[in-house]
Amino acid sequence: MEIIKIDDRKKLAFPRFHHYNLAIRYIVEQGLEQNYLLLPEATKETTELGSKYSPDYACAPFKHTLGSLIEAVNAGADIVIETGGLCRLDYYGALQREILRELGYRCEFVNLAEYMGGKKKEMIWLAKRLNPKVNIPKLLAAVYDGVKMAEYLDDIEALYYRNAGFEAQEGSYRKAYRQFLLEMQVAENHGEIRDGYQKAKQIMENLELRRSQYPVRIGVVGEYFTAMDAHSNQYLQEKLIRLGASVERYLNVTNCHFRAKESALRPRIRDYVQFNMGPTTTWTIHAALDYAKRGFDGIVHVKSFGCTPELDAVPVLQNISRDYHIPVLYLSYDTQNSDTGLDTRLEAFYDMLERKKKVLR
Amino acid sequence: MKKKAYLGIDIGSISTKGVIIDENNQFLAECYLWTEGNPTEASKKVLHELRIQFDQEHYQVVASGTTGSARKLVGAMLGAQVVKNEITAHAVGTTALHPDVRTILEIGGQDSKIICVENGVAVDYAMNTLCAAGTGAFLSSQAHRLGVAVEQFGEIALSAKKAAPVAARCTVFAESDLVHKLQVGYPKEEIIAGLCKAVAGNYLNNVAKGKKILSPVVFQGGVSKNAGVVKMFEEELRMPVIVDEKGHLMGAFGIAILARESRQEEAFSFDAADMEFKTREVTCGKCANHCEIICVYRGKELIDSWGNRCDRGAIR
Repeated sequence: MEIIKIDDRKKLAFPRFHHYNLAIRYIVEQGLEQNYLLLPEATKETTELGSKYSPDYACAPFKHTLGSLIEAVNAGADIVIETGGLCRLDYYGALQREILRELGYRCEFVNLAEYMGGKKKEMIWLAKRLNPKVNIPKLLAAVYDGVKMAEYLDDIEALYYRNAGFEAQEGSYRKAYRQFLLEMQVAENHGEIRDGYQKAKQIMENLELRRSQYPVRIGVVGEYFTAMDAHSNQYLQEKLIRLGASVERYLNVTNCHFRAKESALRPRIRDYVQFNMGPTTTWTIHAALDYAKRGFDGIVHVKSFGCTPELDAVPVLQNISRDYHIPVLYLSYDTQNSDTGLDTRLEAFYDMLERKKKVLR
Repeated sequence: MKKKAYLGIDIGSISTKGVIIDENNQFLAECYLWTEGNPTEASKKVLHELRIQFDQEHYQVVASGTTGSARKLVGAMLGAQVVKNEITAHAVGTTALHPDVRTILEIGGQDSKIICVENGVAVDYAMNTLCAAGTGAFLSSQAHRLGVAVEQFGEIALSAKKAAPVAARCTVFAESDLVHKLQVGYPKEEIIAGLCKAVAGNYLNNVAKGKKILSPVVFQGGVSKNAGVVKMFEEELRMPVIVDEKGHLMGAFGIAILARESRQEEAFSFDAADMEFKTREVTCGKCANHCEIICVYRGKELIDSWGNRCDRGAIR
C-alpha cells in the first residue's frame, strides 16, 4: 500500500458559510483525501478585508466570502473553491478569482459555477483536478455522509433555536450545541457522525425547559446567504432567542437542496405567486405563508442591501402580512458593524408581539 | 405616607425629555431640552429641572425607566428598573393618552417610525432603515441653509400659496433640488412648503409603505411641532391628524408607565444628578473581532459594561 505523507496533501478552502464548512471538510478529507483548511469564526477584520477589495455595489455576501477567501489564502490554502448560484452569485467566482490574482495571490482557484451543469463526467473531472489519485467510490460514500452531516447540522440547529430561549439552566443548550459542533468537526466516519447527532439530540431533548404556555414564535425568512450565515446577520437568531422567543428558519441547505424542489413548493403559494421570481423567493414566500398559517406571531425578513430577488418578494410578504394579520420586520444588511440599530428593532418587535399576545388572549 | 411617583427619561439624538407621573398617569413634572451631543450632561440637567418642579413633600419616586438612543448609558447611571426601546415606549405612552388611536406617526431627530394599533395594543411597526432622509435633522440642516429658524418653518410653510416640488427620496438629491429651485427664483415660503410636503411624502412612501393608515391618526416627535408638515399629512391622507400638546414627551411618558408596570420598586434619589459619571471605551484584544466595550464608571467604581460579543470580553 502506498503511504501518502500528510504534508504532500494539498490544502483546500471554501469561504465560510454558516456551519456547512464542517460538512465540506468531511467530504474533502474523507472523500478527496486532501486537507481542508477550516477557518476560525469570522471577525470584523474578515468583513473589512472583504469590503476593502470589493466593488462598492457588490452585495454583502460577496464581501464576506471574499474576506474569507483572502484569509484562507493567507493561512496557506493551495486551492480555494467558490460556488455559483442562481443570481449574481454565479458571476462572483469569476470576479473573485480576478481580484485574488490582482492582489498577487498565486493559489489555484476552482469556480464551481463552471461545473454547475451537473453532468457526472464533469464532476468526476473536477474531482480528479482536486486530487488526481481520487478513489471515486470512496468519494461518493463521503459525499453521502457529508450530505447526511449537513442534514444533522440543520436538524440540531433548528432544535436549538426552537427551544434554547426557554432553557431552565442558562447556557445548557448552548453547551450541548457547541459540543455537537465540535464532534462534527472531528468526525471521521459515518458512525461518528450518526452517534454525535443522536447524542446531541438526546441531550437537548432531555434538558429542562421553562416554556411559558404561549411563547412568542418568530419565523425567519430571506436571502440564502445572509439569512443563514449567523455572522452576516449579526447573530439575529441568537438575539431573538435571548429575548425569549422561539425561532424557526425553514431556509437551510437541507430544505433548499436535498428536500423541497422549487417546482414542488410553488403550487402551495399559488394564491400569491404564479411564477418563479429568483433564487430563494419561492422558499421565502412559502415559509412566510406557512408561518402565517401555523399562527406564528411574527416574521423577520432578512436580505443583504440591494438584493433584487428578495426585494421582489417584499410586496408579496406585505400581502401575506395583511391577509393573516402577521407583522413582518424587514432587515437589510450591508457590512455595518454596530449592533445598536438591530438590537432596538428586534427588542421593539419582540415587545410588540409579546404585549399583543397578552392583550388579545 | 408619601404617594408613589414614576420617572421616565427619553434621551434622543437631538433632545432629551423627562417626566414624572403619579399612579393615575397625571404629569407631576416635565422637562424638554437639547441633548447637544452629551447624553450624560443632558440627563443630569433634566433631573435638576425635574427636582425643582417636583413636589417632594407629597410624592416619592419609586421606579424609573429610560428609553431613546442613550437608554443603556443613562439607565446604568440612574439604576433604572426598565431600559426599553423607544418604539415600545411611544406605543405605550400614546395608547395611554389616546386609547382609541389606530395609527401613530412619529418623526424624530434622526429616525421616523409608524406604529399600527388595534384594540389599544401595537400590532405592527416599521422604522426607517438605512438613512435619515426626511427627519428632523434634515429639516434643520435645510433651515440653516435658507437662513430661517427651524421653529418658524411651519408658520412660513402655511403662508405659501403652493408648494414647490422638491425631491425628498434622498437628502443629497433634495439639497441639489433645493439649490436649483432657489436659483430659478422660487419664493422662499414655497420652497419651505415644498420641503414640508417632501417630508410627508417621503415618510408615506418609505416608512409607511404597505401599512394601512387608519383614523384616528396621532402624529408626534419633534417634527410634529411643524404645522406645515401636519397640514401636508392631512392633505395626503385626507383625514385629520391629531397632534398632542404633550406629543414630544410621549416616549418619556411611556417608559414611566412601563416602570410602574414593572412592579419593581426602589426609592429613587435625585443625587445621581450631582454625581460624576465617566464612560471609557476599551477595545477587547482577545480575538480579531476587536469588540468595543463600553465601561461606565461612577466616580472610580465600575457600574456597568457592555458591547462584548462573547464571554471572553466580559468584564463583569
